[in-house]
Amino acid sequence: MSVFEPFEAFGDVDEIADRLRDPDPSVRRLAAIELGETASPEAVPLLAAAIADPAPEVRRQAARALADFDGIEAARALASGLQDPDAETAAAAAESLAELKDPEAAPALLPLVDHADAFVRAGALRGLKALRSPAAFAPAAAALRDPAPEARVQAVGVIGYLKLSEALPSLIGAARDEAAEVREAAINALAFTRHPSAAEAVAAALDDPDWRVRAAAAESLGRIGVGDAAAALVGALRDGFWQVRQKALVSLGKLRQRSAAQAILPLLDEELPLLRKEAAAALGEIGDAGAISALERRADDPDPDVRKTARWALTRLGG
Amino acid sequence: MPLASSPTTVPVVVDEAKCIAEKGCTVCVDVCPLDVLRISEETGKAYMKYDECWYCMPCETDCPTGAVSVNIPYLLR
Amino acid sequence: MDEIKDGLAEVACDVLVIGGGTAGPMAAYKAKVRNPKSRVILLEKANVRRSGAISMGMDGLNNAVIPGYATPEQYVKEITIANDGIVDQAPVLKYARNCYGIIEELDRFGIRFQKTENGDFDVKKVHHLGAYVLPMPNGDTVKKALYRQLRREQILISNRYMATRLLTSRDGHVAGAIAVNARTAEFLVVRAKTVILCMGAAGRLGLPQSGYLYGTYENATNSGDGYAMAYHAGAKLANLECYQINPLIKDYNGPACAYVAGPFGAYTTNAEGSRFIECDYWSGQMMQEFYNELQSGKGPVFLKLDHLHDETVTEIETILHKVERPSRGRFHEGRGTNYREKMVEMHISEIGFCSGHSASGVFVDDLARTTVPGLYAAGDMANVPHNYMLGAFTNGAVAGEDAADVASGIDLPEFDMAEVEAERERVLAPTRREDGVPPNQLEYKTRRLVNDYLQPPKVTAKMRLGQLRLEEVRDDLDTNMMVRDAHELMRSLEAASILDCADMAAAASLYREESRWGLYHNRVDFPDKNDADWFCHTLLSKKDGRMVAEKRAIEPYLVQIEEHERSAYDRQRILKQA
Repeated sequence: MSVFEPFEAFGDVDEIADRLRDPDPSVRRLAAIELGETASPEAVPLLAAAIADPAPEVRRQAARALADFDGIEAARALASGLQDPDAETAAAAAESLAELKDPEAAPALLPLVDHADAFVRAGALRGLKALRSPAAFAPAAAALRDPAPEARVQAVGVIGYLKLSEALPSLIGAARDEAAEVREAAINALAFTRHPSAAEAVAAALDDPDWRVRAAAAESLGRIGVGDAAAALVGALRDGFWQVRQKALVSLGKLRQRSAAQAILPLLDEELPLLRKEAAAALGEIGDAGAISALERRADDPDPDVRKTARWALTRLGG
Repeated sequence: MPLASSPTTVPVVVDEAKCIAEKGCTVCVDVCPLDVLRISEETGKAYMKYDECWYCMPCETDCPTGAVSVNIPYLLR
Repeated sequence: MDEIKDGLAEVACDVLVIGGGTAGPMAAYKAKVRNPKSRVILLEKANVRRSGAISMGMDGLNNAVIPGYATPEQYVKEITIANDGIVDQAPVLKYARNCYGIIEELDRFGIRFQKTENGDFDVKKVHHLGAYVLPMPNGDTVKKALYRQLRREQILISNRYMATRLLTSRDGHVAGAIAVNARTAEFLVVRAKTVILCMGAAGRLGLPQSGYLYGTYENATNSGDGYAMAYHAGAKLANLECYQINPLIKDYNGPACAYVAGPFGAYTTNAEGSRFIECDYWSGQMMQEFYNELQSGKGPVFLKLDHLHDETVTEIETILHKVERPSRGRFHEGRGTNYREKMVEMHISEIGFCSGHSASGVFVDDLARTTVPGLYAAGDMANVPHNYMLGAFTNGAVAGEDAADVASGIDLPEFDMAEVEAERERVLAPTRREDGVPPNQLEYKTRRLVNDYLQPPKVTAKMRLGQLRLEEVRDDLDTNMMVRDAHELMRSLEAASILDCADMAAAASLYREESRWGLYHNRVDFPDKNDADWFCHTLLSKKDGRMVAEKRAIEPYLVQIEEHERSAYDRQRILKQA
């Protein structure tokens, strides 16, 4: 009868280290995979060496394996991977950097915010986001003037995650950025505060030329939750994109301003059932009895979701 | 009752030029939930031994060299 | 590999967790963290790296009870109503209270939930009742993040060991489990003070319409082994007649993921492009409506995305084609289906057992304890209704902590070596035959009979006939099954689990003489809901070698359901005739 070991071996770091010196790059690559699986802190310096291996496939694998570790040492190794001439290695390093959570890792990334390569700058900023390190605020604010929009988007993220009141002017500035994706990110990032200047900047974005920015603005106004925004949202109910009208209806429901009820009524006749439903839901939230007769017409809507929502709204209105 | 051997097309295909199983790699064999992949003793490469595939794709996703591709089993296509 | 070896080893531990999918890793982790001195073993039929229902991750949480969005009481109410009242609320309430803490913990593990630009969870409200969705656009990293935690805590992991039976002591306390290696057929006896079963759904019960044994809705590794093991150990199993049946993409058998595409504006329609689902809850009622529409002149049923903006569709595609069932994109490509131009044809799945989407499973209380002392169950196989992935994590955590506490206060229970010997004989019998029926044919036949005789609408005479035919299959399985290698041996054990589950599906469905849970238990000879006689759990268990059924009262509700709330739901009930 055979004797056997039933448990998974998590790998002996020293034994794997030997294979990292094998002349065959495929063997070194497999060693890098195994190092990641050890989850042992001793593997980090070895992977840091492997991310400088002459063979790109070994560097790629090391960059992926480092996703299993956190802290400054892993961050330093990944920072060098991010600058790798091999695009796949650099992309893998960027993905792994996004897994970091330890604020102590920030010093490894901060110098890269001024790197010559836009990919490196964006990757470093993306990695900094989840670290929520206050030390990243000033470099991120400076990066809002980065020539590359992908870096500016990530800079908005770093600032947005920090939720600092002193960041408001930067974010308000970014809400007027020339690139739509930066404006959209800034509009979303401004939702953390009830400061009037934030609400004002977001409301202004309801006139943005890009529909996604307008939709983000309509949604953010609901999150911010300042009642004055209702007037601006009523304007958005006439937006040419149904996606914007939908978000505006949801936000108006959240704000519960009676003054908005009349403006919502025509949307009960929208062609898309989704919008008729949202209009009924918003009217139910607002609770203005003036909507009862219009809602009663929708209680027999051909679309089941619209019918149900209209009936729910009517019970809230006492109709 | 004697057994027959009926043919069946298998959904998982391995590019032998890319596969590095002969170097000691067993990633695809390790991760397959249904345990249907093996390393061939003849070629030293991975292959699908049993046609019992949920087309879930860890073998393809986790293969370090991009040698594995998962197709939808013929009966479902 | 795969040749049958003669081997037997014995190990011991404090807490044994069987199943390394979703609930299992969390249970093992929590048991170890609760008592770092304890020895915890995690046993898995496949490999923990990529096993279970979430082997490729998950695209979102659809039952997140997040403060500020939903209250635990509101959630309990909805689950109670959606399950036609057949709910012990204590475990549901515990889930609802604990799950947010688990979300935060998973976030710390590195599982990536969708965040707002301020780094907060980006919760989506789906409709006014308060079903809350938290998307996971990078949910493909779930297993990786879990595995990392297990390695850090130095959990003992045994991959490729399939548990076959539980061991119990003379006084009925669980004493461990017997397992067999899926590649060598070597036996492993794991002695344990407490055992947690996290073995997933019975997903290979019905046969998919494609006829491909592994083209199932559930991960095809989930062959109902946990239900069979719990049954043979004497545990009680609840409401197994409440099948799992789900909407899915026709033929592909992947979830349609209306809850992923829903917040973007996608919805389910009939062939006329009109919405038809009246029911507010994911439930058997909803599935009955789905079934009726399929059978009516307005079918088939579609997922409609062609009204969405091109960029929105691209966003949905990136999620749906990357996470959970990433081969979905490949399937649509093969059929020439572009979401922008064509609606996606949908259908309903084969039947299965899975509490993740219904209300059946091994009976547990709010500490995840089964009716066998020292034995726990969590995840899709335990009867906490509508659990989904987050429920598996949350209840796995509950089980792990309690099992660690209990284990620290008791000695290793004794077991009878004769039980091990008898089990080895049972398992290895098919390897000793020179001639016979291979497991895949026995499995195909069992599952074809499940489709023919047990799937709803359920007819008494048909189910009785089905029982007779299944008995014939059992006779073949016991006396005539043959396997040639260790891999086939695993399949033969799965075929036995599937047959056990089929027997339980028939017995439970025949016992409850009413219709309840919409399509799940649509009994043609008893078309009405009968609260006077059947407002109760039904429990199956093994007594003196026979399957017996009994009723069990529902525990008094902790959250009262107002009459008007219940009647609002009842008004949505629809005629069962298509």
